[in-house]
Amino acid sequence: MARMKFLCDADRCIECNACVTACKNENDVPWGINRRRVVTINDGKPGERSISMACMHCTDAPCAAVCPVDCFYVTVDKVVLHSKDLCIGCGYCFYACPFGAPQYPKVGNFGSRGKMDKCTFCAGGPEADLSPAEFQKYGSNRLAEGKLPLCAEMCSTKSLLAGDGDIIAKIYKERVVKRGYGSGAWGWKTAYKETVAI
Amino acid sequence: MSEKKTKEALDRRGFMKVVSLGGAAAAASVAPGVVTPAAAYDPGKEETKARYRESEHVKAFYRTNSY
Repeated sequence: MARMKFLCDADRCIECNACVTACKNENDVPWGINRRRVVTINDGKPGERSISMACMHCTDAPCAAVCPVDCFYVTVDKVVLHSKDLCIGCGYCFYACPFGAPQYPKVGNFGSRGKMDKCTFCAGGPEADLSPAEFQKYGSNRLAEGKLPLCAEMCSTKSLLAGDGDIIAKIYKERVVKRGYGSGAWGWKTAYKETVAI
Repeated sequence: MSEKKTKEALDRRGFMKVVSLGGAAAAASVAPGVVTPAAAYDPGKEETKARYRESEHVKAFYRTNSY
């Protein structure tokens, strides 16, 4: 069974923010919420790297682990989704998420932030597929249309990959072999040191 | 005059007694055994079904990303 994953090729990302714009437009994301954002490190210096970040649809997701009302669920495609009908806007998931993915429409304290909003891998929510109610709460359901998240499909440099984890990993490995100088992935040396090369 | 005051006071006490008894009865009606436990969200098969499929559109995405 396919496992949905995002993979950002930091060597190709040019920080154009098209993924951010595409996501906001496709899902009619409310003001103040960015389901996806581009993070740049060493901006303007040698070795500058940009990476497009959103919900990474974790296996054993920490957001789901801390939710006091258990509003999260995982689909067969391994996409982490949540029910806005159950969400109480407590903010625990925001603190638990290592990627800062959960966002809230309002600024406030416990419960007054509004319902949590995050990337759905363009897979909608618990409402009926492609229904107006689903779009209003969660945005579009491109997966049900036989498509992939628009952020990845819009990427002009083909930096952001989305889809079946095995297939996009294979695509990325082929790129790395062609480049011939190692992964180039952001955080690679931190994680695997200089000794591990691919 | 004082008799009237005493009567008023007794009425007030009676009222408070009724209220406190009512409160105790209400508390008894929500005894631990009677409370319905909060249920976690249990999505059905329809919500969690696989939506991804390798359509021509998706295959084109994989192909164009390979170079």
